[in-house]
Amino acid sequence: MSILFQGRATGATAVKQSLWNKFVMFWIHHLRQALTSLGEIWLTPASSLLTVAVLGVSLTLPVTLHLMVKNLQQVSTSVDQAAQISLFLKADTNETQIAELIALLQANPEVADVQFIDKSQALAEFTAESGFGDALSYIEDNPLPHVMLVSPRNTSSVAASALLASLQQERYVELAKLDIGWLERLDAIVSLVRQVAIAVALLLMVAVLLVVGNTIRLMILNKKDEIEVMKLVGATNSYIQRPFLYTGIWLGFFGGILTFLIEEVLLWWLKQGIANVTQLYESTFTLQPLSLSELGYLLLVAVALGFVGSFLAVRRNISQIEATGL
Amino acid sequence: MLRFEQVTKSYSGGFVALDRVSFHLEKGEMAFLTGHSGAGKSTLLKLISLIERPTTGKVFINGVDLSRVNKGQVPYVRRDIGMIFQNHKLLMNHSVFDNVALPLVIEGFSGKDMTKRVHAALDKVGLLDKVRCLPHTLSGGEQQRVGIARAVVNRPPLLLADEPTGNLDPELSKDIMNVFEAFNQVGVSVLIASHDLSLLARMRYRTLTLKNGRMINDGLTSSGADE
Repeated sequence: MSILFQGRATGATAVKQSLWNKFVMFWIHHLRQALTSLGEIWLTPASSLLTVAVLGVSLTLPVTLHLMVKNLQQVSTSVDQAAQISLFLKADTNETQIAELIALLQANPEVADVQFIDKSQALAEFTAESGFGDALSYIEDNPLPHVMLVSPRNTSSVAASALLASLQQERYVELAKLDIGWLERLDAIVSLVRQVAIAVALLLMVAVLLVVGNTIRLMILNKKDEIEVMKLVGATNSYIQRPFLYTGIWLGFFGGILTFLIEEVLLWWLKQGIANVTQLYESTFTLQPLSLSELGYLLLVAVALGFVGSFLAVRRNISQIEATGL
Repeated sequence: MLRFEQVTKSYSGGFVALDRVSFHLEKGEMAFLTGHSGAGKSTLLKLISLIERPTTGKVFINGVDLSRVNKGQVPYVRRDIGMIFQNHKLLMNHSVFDNVALPLVIEGFSGKDMTKRVHAALDKVGLLDKVRCLPHTLSGGEQQRVGIARAVVNRPPLLLADEPTGNLDPELSKDIMNVFEAFNQVGVSVLIASHDLSLLARMRYRTLTLKNGRMINDGLTSSGADE
């Protein structure tokens, strides 16, 4: 397109090209510029490595917190599954009433399973396990009530509490009990950690933006003369900007990869310690690493940060460099 | 082709670089712009290449009023003007080929088409054998010729040169001028700023003389230019 000279054939666009050809050239052009930017990073490894390192370390903290939340949630759900409601029946409940209650509970759609423990059976168990042994045989009456263990179908603490409240109203039930206090506390801690993770992630993302922006700004200043020459021979701002944007994207990408590597090393290092703890608790807990989709999100966020950081730097700095020429 | 109408350029602080300058360079004409340093030669060239804007008056290229060209259009205007600089303005860490190809790359050329044009431009300035060299391995005259090749590679209708023979010995200066003449002969309008009066005297082209921002002579090199 020539503004001064109507009909002057300028640029490759003046040459007739098929749409497909243009489309292919567009991508080839971008690919070439992306690779050129990669080459530039390769040429100045010291400053680029430093930036990538800052990115990698900055992103590691929020990712670590995210993994912590994820694993804690895994613990709380695995405990949730075991949640059971104990119904202590009234002392004068007889056999038919018990059968009636069992039938009623089994018909309840909220209930997954009902297990009845007879009070004599309970006493036998207690005698065997409590260690009081013969001392208990001096008790004349069995002081224990009949117990029913009810497994809720929906194991979340809210649903279990609702079921607990309704079972409490049953005619033959003396006391219904669900020990979810500590579960609620764990949930609260997990959500606190999640909130902290979000806050830390936001702060560090801002830091990453500033670091990328500053690196790109220095690169622009280093190439001030070159940019001036390009402006003198008719390069548009967007043309001059593009390589710097690609550089930002590459920095973000490598920062994301570095974060992943640091995270893997960290997990490998913590694995033994966590195994020791879980063994002591006889738990089947296994450490959840970063999943493939989470890695994808990580890289996406890192690349986006690199792009936005360089975009901010480029927009401010490139238009400020004016061709002083001549 | 190039027309100045009562153009004044004053800078903040009251310095008047150009004072009501008017002239008209015809299509296919070659002319010199001369005067002492500080007389306004560079300012005049800057107004043409839109590095600066006039305070009052108008500049036309091919009938297009440059005051109507907005900021985003400036790069496209510069693509129609070949500019040659006293200090060459080459990219020192890129090869001669890359330097000459720069205007083409910016316009979206690639591949064989680009290579053909770059080689043609380098051939015209006699540097085809230096295509792979880095600029700093070349002499001053050769660097200047690379600059010329870059200016003409996309075949602009108008060529501006600011002291193109500034640091060159007379023999090399003549070579460079011959290159400009060759372009002029194929229809390119050429405006060369130079204070090399002996060179101008030999060349016998129209000469625009500036003194303290005023156009004091417009014609063949004569006694008016040398004081």
